[in-house]
Amino acid sequence: MRNVKILGFATFIEGGRHKALWTIVAFSVLLTLGNIVFTTMFSWDLGKVAIEFGLSAISFSGLLLIFFLGLKIMADDLERGRIYMILSRPVSISEYMVGKFLGLALILLFATVILGISAAISMSFVLAEYPGFVPPGFSWQIYLMALTCQWLGLLVVLAICFFWFSFSSHSFVALIFSACSYLLGQNMETLRYVIEKNPQAGFLTGQEWLVRLVSWIFPNLSLFDKKTVAAYGLAFSWFEFSLIVVYGCSYIGLLLFFSVLLFKRKELAA
Amino acid sequence: MMISSLLCNDLCKSFGKKRTKKQVLKDLSFSVAKEEVFGFLGPNGAGKSTTIKIILGFLRPDSGSIEVSGIGAGLGEYRHLIGYLPELPFFYNHLTALETLMMSGKLSGMKQKEVKDSAAHLLERLTLSHATGQKVGGFSKGMKQRLGLANALIHDPPILILDEPMSGLDPLGRYQVKQLIRDLKAEGKTVFFSSHILSDIEELCDRIAIIHTGELLYSGSVVDFVAENQNLEDNFIDIIRQKDEACCVDA
Repeated sequence: MRNVKILGFATFIEGGRHKALWTIVAFSVLLTLGNIVFTTMFSWDLGKVAIEFGLSAISFSGLLLIFFLGLKIMADDLERGRIYMILSRPVSISEYMVGKFLGLALILLFATVILGISAAISMSFVLAEYPGFVPPGFSWQIYLMALTCQWLGLLVVLAICFFWFSFSSHSFVALIFSACSYLLGQNMETLRYVIEKNPQAGFLTGQEWLVRLVSWIFPNLSLFDKKTVAAYGLAFSWFEFSLIVVYGCSYIGLLLFFSVLLFKRKELAA
Repeated sequence: MMISSLLCNDLCKSFGKKRTKKQVLKDLSFSVAKEEVFGFLGPNGAGKSTTIKIILGFLRPDSGSIEVSGIGAGLGEYRHLIGYLPELPFFYNHLTALETLMMSGKLSGMKQKEVKDSAAHLLERLTLSHATGQKVGGFSKGMKQRLGLANALIHDPPILILDEPMSGLDPLGRYQVKQLIRDLKAEGKTVFFSSHILSDIEELCDRIAIIHTGELLYSGSVVDFVAENQNLEDNFIDIIRQKDEACCVDA
């Protein structure tokens, strides 16, 4: 556990001082604050637009951080032989992987908190300016729960990246596979619904079993997307929230487990 | 009887699959005695770095065995006994020199206070004191090489494996590293290092091993290898040529 902490902290410091982090965070803060201007271009549902826009900006910047900062740190470790510095010491592959994951998870948490605050500022400005458009059931508690779900969703995407990274020959391949898995995970629920309910769903008609099989393999990332719930002020119980947390944590644990197994088989000849 | 710090027995390693398979190590065996400076020589692509990576567990041999201080690879942990300097040391660019050494020391099981003292001492010894708080990304190649050495020495290991420790260093830096290797020998450390600079090997090593295309051509003392009125470089070139000619005849 000591090695995990040391590696997690070093990854957090390395990522935290990286220009890419601050560029993405600055861009996203501007984007979320631009919410104020953007929202006023709409003539109805201003509150809903403000909340959805704020949470979307956070999600977008989180993905940028994973794909451009997280994968870069991992790729540099392997492709530039930085991993030798670590694994020439009594550090196991599992400690290395979990430490790296926790360090990057902390960076994502840090970015989510900053962006969550900037989004909340812009949202509260819009909601105060246009009280008539405040969604009836809106609460900051649900906003925070939605934000937590979003962070957890980002962690699942990060774990997917680790999984592909653990056996890909090149980081670019891992990036492509991770992006594809993200798109699949994000849209799988909708696809499954369409295939099951629509008898004219093109070449996938009658392939419900295939879609169901794929949906069991890939994570259902739409579960973590609670933008609509927060924007419309829909009911979001603690029970449902806890189930999502358990689902997310289990999926992350499973992906990290397989990543470690696969990484152990990898030969480290940079 | 010689007490071995490092023992490699019949190491074989190949890369690639069926048609593209290339054997890079062929039954490589040698041993490094305790407290000696051992030079590992060979032309580019001879298999020196591959051997080092197998010793450290980054690569798995196809066959053969390794023992470090009597601990067999896969049978126990021996990495805490080794200080390793890669051929091209890369660090986390945004960590400072001190943070880098702190991380490495702690990963080797040292306590905060111990690492701090050891880091300060090593940074001074390798004339990097002025760069303690500087981010490694801004270091020159020579500074990175010296930081790599400090990194290898941070936990005071009994065995040092240095892959091309003099590469990229200016004459002053090379002198400094040579002096450091001499000091390490005086302190009773075992130093195993690969180099292309044969004059350095001749100057520093007690024994050497020469490999070419993955095969061991010589293993023994430098004195025995260098015949009278000849130097290491001439003999090294001769032995490599003989091997190449033998290969041509076989082909």
